Amino acid sequence: MGLGSIASRALRSNTLRPGHTNLLRRSIVTTTELRNAEAAQAQPETPPPDLPPRTPVAGARVHFPNPEDAIEVFVDGYPVKIPKGMTVLQACEIAGVDIPRFCYHSRLSIAGNCRMCLVEVEKSPKPVASCAMPALPGMKIKTDTPLAKKAREGVMEFLLMNHPLDCPICDQGGECDLQDQSMAFGSDRGRFTETKRSVVDKNLGPLVKTVMTRCIQCTRCVRFATEIAGVQDLGMLGRGSGEEIGTYVEKLMTSELSGNVIDICPVGALTSKPFAFKARNWELKGTESIDVTDAVGSNIRIDSRGPEVMRVVPRLNEDINEEWISDKTRFFYDGLKRQRLNDPMIRGPDGRFKAVSWRDALAVVAEVIHQVKADEIVGVAGKLSDAESMMALKDFLNKMGSNNVLCEGNGPNPNADLRSGYIMNTSISGLENADVFLLVGTQPRVEAAMVNARIRKTVRATQAKVGYVGPATDLNYDHEHLGTGPQTLSEIAKGSHPFSSTLMNAKNPCIIVGAGIFERDDKDAIFSVVEAIAERAKAVRPDWNGMNVLLLNAAQAAALDLGLVPESDKGIESSKFIYLMGADDVNLEKIPEDAFVVYQGHHGDRSVYRANVILPASAFSEKEGTYVNTEGCAQTTVPAVPTVGDARDDWKIVRALSEVAGVILPYDSLSAIRSRMKTVAPNLVNVDEREPATFSYSLKPESQQKISTTPFKAAVENFYMTDPITRASKVMAQCSALLSKK
Amino acid sequence: MAHMMRNLKVQPNSTSLEEARKRTFDFFRMACRSIPSIMDIYNLQDVVAPSELRSSVAAQIRKNSHVSNPKVIDMLLFKAMEELKDIVDHSKQRHHIIGQYVVGNKGQVQDLGTKDEGNSEFLKNFYTTNYF
Repeated sequence: MGLGSIASRALRSNTLRPGHTNLLRRSIVTTTELRNAEAAQAQPETPPPDLPPRTPVAGARVHFPNPEDAIEVFVDGYPVKIPKGMTVLQACEIAGVDIPRFCYHSRLSIAGNCRMCLVEVEKSPKPVASCAMPALPGMKIKTDTPLAKKAREGVMEFLLMNHPLDCPICDQGGECDLQDQSMAFGSDRGRFTETKRSVVDKNLGPLVKTVMTRCIQCTRCVRFATEIAGVQDLGMLGRGSGEEIGTYVEKLMTSELSGNVIDICPVGALTSKPFAFKARNWELKGTESIDVTDAVGSNIRIDSRGPEVMRVVPRLNEDINEEWISDKTRFFYDGLKRQRLNDPMIRGPDGRFKAVSWRDALAVVAEVIHQVKADEIVGVAGKLSDAESMMALKDFLNKMGSNNVLCEGNGPNPNADLRSGYIMNTSISGLENADVFLLVGTQPRVEAAMVNARIRKTVRATQAKVGYVGPATDLNYDHEHLGTGPQTLSEIAKGSHPFSSTLMNAKNPCIIVGAGIFERDDKDAIFSVVEAIAERAKAVRPDWNGMNVLLLNAAQAAALDLGLVPESDKGIESSKFIYLMGADDVNLEKIPEDAFVVYQGHHGDRSVYRANVILPASAFSEKEGTYVNTEGCAQTTVPAVPTVGDARDDWKIVRALSEVAGVILPYDSLSAIRSRMKTVAPNLVNVDEREPATFSYSLKPESQQKISTTPFKAAVENFYMTDPITRASKVMAQCSALLSKK
Repeated sequence: MAHMMRNLKVQPNSTSLEEARKRTFDFFRMACRSIPSIMDIYNLQDVVAPSELRSSVAAQIRKNSHVSNPKVIDMLLFKAMEELKDIVDHSKQRHHIIGQYVVGNKGQVQDLGTKDEGNSEFLKNFYTTNYF
């Protein structure tokens, strides 16, 4: 021990008042006082006369399901009222004390194996692990005593014993729980002089990078995989110092939620493979935005550096995605850098595209659109279109005299009249109250992974029954495969199917119809059968609406809200002028040879091969756009990065084209187009609020259609590649090659 | 030509508008006479014709046609002579000549002439940038 350290010790013992009551400040204390914890404890404790008011950690709120069950505990002398059954750790959170933890996670089961959350409880001989200890009435919890501090310091020292000192090359560096907590609660030195243990890295697939030596065996990832993702891929092997996390046998992690283990890992053992060594988290600019790869509208944060999207991480939204996102949402962002359209282009007589100015491109389009008859003009909005641009497109084509504006995925004759007929009426968080599910022609696991996670949560928590009608599929919870075609539905509706009695007896039955059915010819018939089932099971009541449609794409709900309904279902076949606004899943065979095709979009995907004129638009990460998710909640994206090349926002292109074509649209700004949207569908400007449907299906006229015997088809063939951005992504291509089930 | 200009001095002010006018014509003639050597010096044969350069000089002079004060005309002539001397002395580089007198005001700069007339503010902004 050098002179310096002796001096610093002497100084510290002078400056630190032994019985200091400033509880809010969590100073980094080591050694001297702690070496004689008993002596420090023996000192008479002055009762804190007036404590400053404290706010719960992260705005935590207590919900008392039963007011009689409230108990009172004391945290550092503060009396707190909490419901019965809460743990000591939760009680401390409500009292405004953040207890350090590694293994505890509020959405996972309690493991209690990291011991970091030790606190002192009066009349208890040893410090207790607060995450696993239920709070009892009158318990006196002390979180800041020398004993608790010493316990934490000891745990920290053991954890750091085998943790490599590679923070400078670790991707978790800067957002690492272990780093932060060792700064706050750890000792300033370790006593360990042996060699550190090392663990062989595991290959978990193209998304999750593992550096298993860094693992502290908190088992959060194991619990996440088994409980939330519903795959039994990860587990714990070995005992004692030989303990490691692994996949038992050499195996990839095949879950559509596997990326979330990156977020829950408190250290750098599980990190993002595509993001590895790309950036440090403090260089990134976070933009709070919305995901558009499916109809759930997961809340995300787009982390960007300069003009580049570096990663996508989830944002907490209890009503939609909780704190998880699907792998597609998390890893498709590299598609935003590839195959981008950056200049307006016109296809020359030789069949090659030539870059032109906006002036020329718009002039050509405006000239051609005036040469065709009004009923030969068709507009198709794509999967990723925002509400603003769909509004502009519909207004523009209506002004041109055409009423053939449709949105991809909504089928030939969508029902836009009754909002309850195309949104999830139960709401995503409401699914947790259901006790029987009937999935009709939908595989939520690939269509909307977050909805599936919610169903799985319900099934796990309440043993809800799930019946599934559709092609054989792999749902990650117990379910009953009732049949493959619509005739099974008629049997349930008649009551001759064994599952119908399960539905009848259910308190809150929930029927989810997949949007893949929109494409079927007997759509109306199937819906009337499903409504008959709902009627029998009393699924639609004033206090419960269990009749749901699960949409596939981000644009669908807004398109139907805005009334993007084609006049005739043979519009595309007889058209001479087709305006594809990001529509890449249109059947290009159906477009006549002599039709003039304008493609407005951000990626050089399928439709570009057929296009005559390309108008480059901005992607969702570059513009402000309104999207409505499958439960009818309007949310807006926020531009995170600048547009690529000479691209423009979608609605601006349509607005500019309208002026060149001589039918000027009356809005010049985003607020102006939003007020136009408000006149059509007021729910679209009611951002971040779920707008439930007013009328139920009972107002619908009787359908005269007959159901066909064609079995239901899978709506999404490849989970990882559903839209132009994901198809351009290299990571998504790797995933579909390695992970999608054949 | 060059020797002629080498001996130039600042002349006394023109006494009348007629004298200033005469001096302007003298300058124009001198400029026209130096055009062949300028074409040689700056290697402009395949870029521009002598007649175009002549009309370019004329256009520069006409730009100031509204000036009626002989003193101002003298000053402008002095500046013009300075410019001509720089050009003839090869004090400039080829791209200076091309930029100023061959491409002139119309090139490089986008033609914002008649096309955008009647367009709304929105469309004008739209053609230049996405951010407005």
